[in-house]
Amino acid sequence: MAYAVKAWNDFKNYQTGCYRDYLYATEGLRVMGSTWSVLAPLKGLGDDIHLIGGEPHAASTAGTLPDESRENIIAAESAGLGFHSCSYLKLFTGEVIRDKIGITDGTIKEGYPKPDLIWTTHLCNQHSKWYQEVSRRLGGIPMFAVDMIGGGNAEKDSKIVNYVSNQIELGIDWLQRVTGREYSDELFAKAVRNEIKVLVLWGNICALNRHAPAPLDERRLIALFPPAVVDRTTDESVRLYETLFEEVKQMVATGQSVAPDQRFRIVYFGIAHTYGHPEMARILRDVGAEIVASVYTFGTCGNFKGIVNGKWSWDPIDPKWVDELDLSTRRKAIEELAKIVLGWPTWQGVRSYWALESMAQAMIDEYHADGLLLAPSRSCETDFRNGYVGLQRIFKSKIPTIEYDTDQVDVRQMDLPGAQRKTELFVHLMEARKRRSA
Amino acid sequence: MAKKGSDTIIERFRSVIENPQGYAKSLHEQGKLVAGYMCTHVPEEILYAAGIVPVRILSPHVSQAMTRSYIHETYCSFSHDCAYQGLSHNYDFLDLITTSSSCIHMGEAFNVWVRFAGFAGKSYLIPYPHIIETKPAASFMKESYGEFKKFLEGFVKKPITDEEIEKAIKVYNHTRRLLKRLWELLRRENPPITGPDVATATLASQFMDKLEFNKLLEKFLKGLEAAPGKGKPGVRLMVSGGACDDIEILDLLEHLDYAVNLIFIDSCTATRYFWFEIPEGRADKLTAIAEGYISRIPCPSKDNVPGTGEKKRLRYVQQFIEEFKPEGIVFLYQRFCSPQPHDIVALRPILDKLGVPSIDLELDSTVPVTQFRTQLEAFLEILKPVVPLE
Amino acid sequence: MNKEKIFAGIDAGHVRTKAVLVRGKEILGYGSAATGFDAVNAAQEALTRALEAAKVSRDDVAGIVSTGIFRDVVKALPIAVQRTVPEYMADAKGALFLNKNSRTVIDIGANVHKAVHYDKDGNLLDVIQNDKCADGVGIFYTTMAKALGVSEEGLSELALASTKQLSVAIHCAASAESEAIGLLCQGEEAADVADASLRFIVERVAAMASTMPLEQEVVVAGGLAKCKALMKHLPVLLKQDVTLLNLPEYVGAIGAAISYEGEK
Repeated sequence: MAYAVKAWNDFKNYQTGCYRDYLYATEGLRVMGSTWSVLAPLKGLGDDIHLIGGEPHAASTAGTLPDESRENIIAAESAGLGFHSCSYLKLFTGEVIRDKIGITDGTIKEGYPKPDLIWTTHLCNQHSKWYQEVSRRLGGIPMFAVDMIGGGNAEKDSKIVNYVSNQIELGIDWLQRVTGREYSDELFAKAVRNEIKVLVLWGNICALNRHAPAPLDERRLIALFPPAVVDRTTDESVRLYETLFEEVKQMVATGQSVAPDQRFRIVYFGIAHTYGHPEMARILRDVGAEIVASVYTFGTCGNFKGIVNGKWSWDPIDPKWVDELDLSTRRKAIEELAKIVLGWPTWQGVRSYWALESMAQAMIDEYHADGLLLAPSRSCETDFRNGYVGLQRIFKSKIPTIEYDTDQVDVRQMDLPGAQRKTELFVHLMEARKRRSA
Repeated sequence: MAKKGSDTIIERFRSVIENPQGYAKSLHEQGKLVAGYMCTHVPEEILYAAGIVPVRILSPHVSQAMTRSYIHETYCSFSHDCAYQGLSHNYDFLDLITTSSSCIHMGEAFNVWVRFAGFAGKSYLIPYPHIIETKPAASFMKESYGEFKKFLEGFVKKPITDEEIEKAIKVYNHTRRLLKRLWELLRRENPPITGPDVATATLASQFMDKLEFNKLLEKFLKGLEAAPGKGKPGVRLMVSGGACDDIEILDLLEHLDYAVNLIFIDSCTATRYFWFEIPEGRADKLTAIAEGYISRIPCPSKDNVPGTGEKKRLRYVQQFIEEFKPEGIVFLYQRFCSPQPHDIVALRPILDKLGVPSIDLELDSTVPVTQFRTQLEAFLEILKPVVPLE
Repeated sequence: MNKEKIFAGIDAGHVRTKAVLVRGKEILGYGSAATGFDAVNAAQEALTRALEAAKVSRDDVAGIVSTGIFRDVVKALPIAVQRTVPEYMADAKGALFLNKNSRTVIDIGANVHKAVHYDKDGNLLDVIQNDKCADGVGIFYTTMAKALGVSEEGLSELALASTKQLSVAIHCAASAESEAIGLLCQGEEAADVADASLRFIVERVAAMASTMPLEQEVVVAGGLAKCKALMKHLPVLLKQDVTLLNLPEYVGAIGAAISYEGEK
């Protein structure tokens, strides 16, 4: 019998709560930016910071308000912002252009709530340029982008850690100047510890999927990692993930799963595309095929041991390590924060083909995969398209591997017929392999 | 008209850009070490100081689909074409392939060479800031360059001295100054040379040994600077955008049914390649190189001033418009390039203020001559009353 | 009297629907019809033609299997298809039936193209299909024939007369067609434009196929396999020998027919 995750509603409410906070705040600071950046520095400004992250907001809005989403994307394209650009950020910028925002509880509000500042990073070639455009359109919102740089083993490269940490230090100075607020290193350190804790906890939860049956499927993984994305610096977010961790451990101990029929275990390299996912999932579910590991849900806002002796390891990090971290000075806290975000699989894979390939191999081995499903997103330049065609070439002879074209939130770019055909084909390849090895 | 000697030099440049692989191979056959590079953020000076001649890898302008089974379709065709250079074994003789972490599309092209074209053992990726204007960028680049220098010393099996680096800086700065003098000629109302020929020389510089190139360009400039104009002045057009190494498109601009002068090209295959200098005579050579490369006109994929979100590149575009006085701008960029359209949207209000109209054309491996011709001629008719050529 | 049963295979494709009647190792008859907007009607028509060619009545047919993009649509009455089989499985079986030494079939369809790798019994080993941008190469062929004012057979003859290598945009069929017309406007010879158009098709197919190892013998399915000009380029770009099949456009239908196994 399929298990129902008890923490489900709390996770949904947390995510919606963050967006409602941003939308309706009458006091405090509204901050817009990327949740791929380090978030804790913002919390040193006080406990009245209301965040909206471009990427998670776009992802969740597309699922909740598809018609609005489409209008937003078209508005960005009509404004000349590149037909081929990232659909997440087209949606996000389109809201600013239309001066209208929609959030996960179905609310659509006229008048985009103007941020007080923009705190972001530069994930791909175009990423921070979206926020530059938003800043420009809203009359010149102060903006600071931390160049996280990314790449394989980045967190162990001292020049990269220093580069990122130096920028964060400058960023904190800038935050003080721009807001006129006094900075609290105590609040900052607390937020750092929370941020790191959530990332480590999520890694631990994902690692439990190595068991058979895997306790969580991709649908649940996609729904359960947003709090880590939208705001992972709060005590509440830590509580959520600690509770979930206990619950999933219990599921493993009792052999339970949200999708108990798992004839085939699939590793998925791709973004969680809003459109077409249910159709793919149905084709897979009909034969008991489940995605048990995914670079998107695991690797964005999740940490693992990373490169160990030259190869990727999806082993989790002991959460107790977080409690023991020395965050007694601002610089120490900054460096630990820089290292943990640089350690994200997705920050590593975004600029490093060899790290992505090593991650894929490790995921297949550690999660005992029967197939590798690659779904490059047509408008994404990061881990969700980068290197995928090459991965298909490398892995096709080793394990049933199929690649289908999708897009994160633009239904027009989604190759639904092709994706359905290829998912069916994928199932046949796995069945054929199973028969051969019987 | 340019003199006969100059014709020979421009023909030499054209022959290099028509067969850059042949030129690079000739260097190799002379016993020189040759390194291919894929992005202008590579510190060529360090390679040159190591006794390695850097040659840029650009598009072979062959219509091919082979790379679609290595890189996704939705990467720009320029990156596909550069990847194809490796897969088709056009450059197997290279001693090294290198790039700095640049735009992701070109990163993929580099990855293909390393992963699939046999360059795993002779490649180097230089870690490079993705936002060039961060305050710590220079110190990060210095460290990164230090590692690159160490790698090259192991590669050539000898130390690279400060003197050698300083010499390389001077050679490259000389190239930059010469190229600047060449482009300045296009400021004239009736230039003695066409824009495509200036672009040809500039492209050739990216493929050639700089010492050889400098000699030829110096000679070329001597003749040109005193030469009269080439012909009747036409509509002054500026090109702005991404990598464009297709002289056919630039030639098309000057061979429409109306008189046109192509007077400036803001792209990394033209003026953005050389419009800066490395500080000379500094004790810390690597920091000097870092500062020089930071001072370049930024590539759109790296341009975001922390604190303000300003695009520094736009200042330069405005400056060039004020100095070279184009009457219209043609934005030429690769289909699937994401950063370029963002800059164009931000540039348009500036162009409106300056009263300079613009048109967008998307580049691909092949040139849709008919469509481009129609669009460009329509643009010219909008710009001003134009008199068709006889 | 041959006591072996007769089975029918219907390959309901995007543009053309094909039907074949098979008894044992013998192909009794075949027929095709334009799919148009009514796949069921097209399947019926194709089957009728195949029956007429085989001189066999509908009642003699023990079972019908459908494949192709409309395989589920044509299950409707009155055809009464008993089973469906995916295209790649039908291709493998059909190619093996026509050439027992084959191990890879490249199917160039109107909309989709794929390469299928199978073992000596026709069991699936691996498949690759085209990406979204490469859709429609077969339809592109038909469009270019119309644009150049020739029949589909005539396009091949025209391309074979080419003396100059031109290039069209490689990204997708829409941009290829646009540039092909542009080349004509620039005064290029129709033969050269025809050849460039066919090379576009081969480039896309070869790029896809070469993602996986192609075990010999490599054969080609689909109507375009009869295009001499196209088949001239394919082995060159694949860097592999390619063996021609009889009835390449019926590979899927043959594979469907011999996939019938009675009760599932």
